Amino acid sequence: MFFEQLGGNLIQGVVLGAVYGMATMGLSLIFGVLKVVNVGHGAFIMVGAFLTLVLFSSLGINPLIAIPVAFGVGMALGLVFYYTTIRKLIKAPELATLLATFSIGVLLEELVKLIFGSEFRGYNWPLGKIDLGITVLPMSKLYACIGSILIAVLLYVWFKKTRAGSAVRSVVEDSEGARVCGVNVGGAYALSFSLGIGLTVASGVLLTMFIPVGINPYMGGGYTLKAFVIAVLGGLSSPYGAFFGGLVFGLIENGSYTLFAYIPGVEPFALTRFLSFVILLVILLIRPTGILRAK
Amino acid sequence: MKQIPKYFPLIPVFAAYFIMFFLAENMEGMWQLMSMLLFYCALGQAFNVFMGMTGYVDFGYVAFMGVGTYGMALSITRLVQYEFLGAWIILIGFGLAMVMSTLLSMAVGAVALRLRGAYFAIATIGVNEGFRFLIEGARIWNGSEGMIFTADLNKVLGRDTAAALCTYWADIMVLAIAALAAFVTLVYMRSKIGYALTALREDEDAAKVMGINVTKFKVIAFITSACLAGLLGATAWALKTPYVFPPEVFEIHYTIEAIIIVMLGGAGTLLGPVVGGLVYGISKYYLSIFLPGFQLLIFAPVILVIIVLFPEGIVGMLKAKTRGTGLERFIV
Repeated sequence: MFFEQLGGNLIQGVVLGAVYGMATMGLSLIFGVLKVVNVGHGAFIMVGAFLTLVLFSSLGINPLIAIPVAFGVGMALGLVFYYTTIRKLIKAPELATLLATFSIGVLLEELVKLIFGSEFRGYNWPLGKIDLGITVLPMSKLYACIGSILIAVLLYVWFKKTRAGSAVRSVVEDSEGARVCGVNVGGAYALSFSLGIGLTVASGVLLTMFIPVGINPYMGGGYTLKAFVIAVLGGLSSPYGAFFGGLVFGLIENGSYTLFAYIPGVEPFALTRFLSFVILLVILLIRPTGILRAK
Repeated sequence: MKQIPKYFPLIPVFAAYFIMFFLAENMEGMWQLMSMLLFYCALGQAFNVFMGMTGYVDFGYVAFMGVGTYGMALSITRLVQYEFLGAWIILIGFGLAMVMSTLLSMAVGAVALRLRGAYFAIATIGVNEGFRFLIEGARIWNGSEGMIFTADLNKVLGRDTAAALCTYWADIMVLAIAALAAFVTLVYMRSKIGYALTALREDEDAAKVMGINVTKFKVIAFITSACLAGLLGATAWALKTPYVFPPEVFEIHYTIEAIIIVMLGGAGTLLGPVVGGLVYGISKYYLSIFLPGFQLLIFAPVILVIIVLFPEGIVGMLKAKTRGTGLERFIV
């Protein structure tokens, strides 16, 4: 009984973990290239979630089609914020970009609250479920998982096979060296920032399939924290590391939930949130380069 | 050059506090606004001790206020049964608030203060949420139900004194904490700690090479700032509104407000948090009358503009303007 429950939860954990991983790739990309921590990360996920909601409930557009739309909107947002604020702060002390991305997050939250109000919303995309014997998986979650993996693979191919991808990789390795070799470093910064934001907003679309009625202007805060745990698991500056970090985190979250549910007198959901915070501190303390990277 | 008297810069700060107190005492209907302004000034001063002096942002700062609130709440609810303690349980509550916020800051600092810049921010951003979920998840201190101790306060102090404490004396204590925070800031600025922290803020590696024990001074500033936050939570939240609920006292909103106040006024200055607190508090008060719910929507872009165009804040600019004039010794 226990193992069936654990197994079922772990399958759910992998499915959710793939989406978590994809939702963190943008954060890691931006940190890897610009050395900027996007503290407003969760707010961009929230923007993606609201986009999905609007497209689905007022225009009847399939959430899968919302993914490229959200990606485009995210790229545009990324370019706007890059050229208005981030570009001017790259050389400033870290404090400046931390506070700037944080304020951008607050600004987005308040704008969305102004338009939609602060109550919780949701939408229903009935697609049926598949029974795996130990757990029942809604098709929408499966689509989200497959979508995340596809996007991760696409990003990988883009990095390895295209010219722009190699330019960005060279800036991650050594921005001075890249500049000497004739790489347009400023362009790589702008591209990576908007790509990172685009990925994050698109991941908001996928995450809505896991939260039936959890769309709210302030939903991002929890995801910011989770994304930091995942990014740190994956070594903070590698988007693929982040993807595998997401899988690990999904497993830990759902596995520990099953275990906490057996302790009498506690609230297992809140404890898993606490655990993710503890994991963050422990990894930062013992292996700040991430647990997935070889020494 | 003539030696600048050490405590001159406190004069404008204390003058501002005194004027606020005077207005609140003597003008009808001003008390509510003044108590809010005092709270924001105190919050800014306490936050500035760490963020302004070191240049590190602690996104989980509100956790220390939350823990301080719990310190006071625990002291009142748990010790009310020992009647011989009487009103002393409030003093014990202050002690407990300081001890608990210090302990939490030591636990967080042990991990976070080893890290630099961005990693520090990442380590602290979950502190308030993490602690809130620990309280709710493990059901310690009544878990998510929180504690209401109006009845306990009434029992210890009598109904009239308790009411006076909530509506009058709590605000006076916030004033005292604001003054204390300003005093501590100046003492730090004018001592070895301040010089070490300035060196660290400008270039941590260079400071280390020069033989400054940067970790020690970071720890001192972090714990001081946390301790002041604990006291502020115990007064402005626990005594003023005698209840505590985890989602309210660990709300990241207050960290945002602290950042706005310090950046607006000028990080690392003595007068900055007072100016920032007044500007933020007054604008928030009038915005909540004319445009309720819009204050963050207005302040988020303001902060962006400040970071990009005027990173020194209002007082930082004033400082540059008054350099070489007689006002120099008052504005620090």
